[in-house]
Amino acid sequence: MPKTTLFPSTQWFEALAQRMAHEEAAYRELGSIDCTMVVKVEASQGPDLYELAFEGFKARSVRRLARLEDAAPEHFVIEASLATWREMIDNIRANAGPDLTHTLNYLTFPDEPMRVTGPDQLEVDAFYRYNQSLQRFFNGAADLPTAYAA
Amino acid sequence: MSKYPPGKYTPAVEVGLDRMRDMAKGNFDLKWMHSNPQGWGHQVTPGPTGLRMRDIETGYYGQVPEHGSSHGGMAPRGCEVPPGTRALSMYTMNDMSEVWAENAGLLYDEAVVRQWNSITDVPWHKLQKLPDDIERAVCQMCTGLSEVEFVAGDMPAKWLCRINHDFHEVKLFLASQIFDEARHLDVFRKRALANGGGLMMASPGQEELLATILEAPDYTTASALMHIFGEGFVLTLFRQGEYLAPTEVEKAIFRLCMQDEARHVAYGVKHLKYFLERHPDRTEQVHKILDLGEQAIFTLTLEPQTSEPRAILAGGGLANIELGAQRMAFIYAKQVKEYLRRLEVAGLDREPRLTIPKEIPYEDLAA
Repeated sequence: MPKTTLFPSTQWFEALAQRMAHEEAAYRELGSIDCTMVVKVEASQGPDLYELAFEGFKARSVRRLARLEDAAPEHFVIEASLATWREMIDNIRANAGPDLTHTLNYLTFPDEPMRVTGPDQLEVDAFYRYNQSLQRFFNGAADLPTAYAA
Repeated sequence: MSKYPPGKYTPAVEVGLDRMRDMAKGNFDLKWMHSNPQGWGHQVTPGPTGLRMRDIETGYYGQVPEHGSSHGGMAPRGCEVPPGTRALSMYTMNDMSEVWAENAGLLYDEAVVRQWNSITDVPWHKLQKLPDDIERAVCQMCTGLSEVEFVAGDMPAKWLCRINHDFHEVKLFLASQIFDEARHLDVFRKRALANGGGLMMASPGQEELLATILEAPDYTTASALMHIFGEGFVLTLFRQGEYLAPTEVEKAIFRLCMQDEARHVAYGVKHLKYFLERHPDRTEQVHKILDLGEQAIFTLTLEPQTSEPRAILAGGGLANIELGAQRMAFIYAKQVKEYLRRLEVAGLDREPRLTIPKEIPYEDLAA
């Protein structure tokens, strides 16, 4: 059995950050990225928050937040239920990338099952500005055996 | 006998020849080597991605004058301009507030580093034969986008050559936008022609909106109308295009265009903010141009050649066009909501002045 990494967890996002670092050439082709993304996972025991700060071609930092107010002032939030995150990650793993109905834009565009929010619209717009890079970041889950919180 | 006897050439050529004679005798001027002492010795530190505009525009070179240089030429900001240098009469936009946005340099850096092209960055080999109604819907959508996209090239181009060269961050950003829009026109035209279909029907509604943008009385109102309002609405259409994409080809096209469009919107929002903070008395003028834009876009949004192809794609085919229209009814409310929120960032409370409905109650209308 391959070793699995729990989603959501700091380790899971750090594993994607490591993949990003290893694939710098591919990220360079997409261009630099300069934003802070908060991933919010709604689970039965309450929301789980992770802040990822991107700079250049790297994820500069990954940290778990106790509350959204602890995030950097300039950020956007992608939020969904654990089931939705799980479906997206499993789809990426099954197809070595998302199929047509599991891209970040597809899942967030109608505001459900995923939603993008932020302190103001320009922060939300950063999700659109860097969409290719953010999609590639999550595509890093393709070869990351993942287990899910109960 | 000299090949260059005095009086053979025009005075300008004679001056040049005299200079050559001096140089041939070892008499060089070299004054330029000691020009602009305050600008010499500039230190830069590259950023994490390389040497960006914001890394070099610091200290002496980062000082942007509220009123652009009076020499009226193309001399770069921060250099020494010799007395008597000819002014060019075309630069009539000399106040920083007319064009500036604090993110212009950053967005230019981003534009150049996030470039793409329609030849190799779109997986054209993944195009596949689509049902006739779907192909027609995609081609109509691409026809409309080919028509509307280059206004965001023509509008900046109209004003670019009037902007004082001291505001080069803005000029370079607008130049990058013009090329972005060239790529958008190119890629949508390419998609319409690439899969056995072709261009379909133009949009009179779009032409109304384009005319309002191109005929705006000044740059800031044109920018509010185009960068924030028009491109904001189109940004949502690009997101919708990715959502409805029948293949990975359209998916890639819309995702790439979406990124560019969001950059243009970001400039527009920050420019309007900068402008209104300095000219609150011009708020009404901005409202008035948005009145016109809202009326034009409402007509445009409901025009059959704009709305119906998207309804066909959302429904999965012509047979389900009603279902598709119902599914996509939320998009208009989303466009209006994001438009109002962007204006809020710019410092403009538009909601009380909105001249169009905030949402279209599709089900009520259908009943």
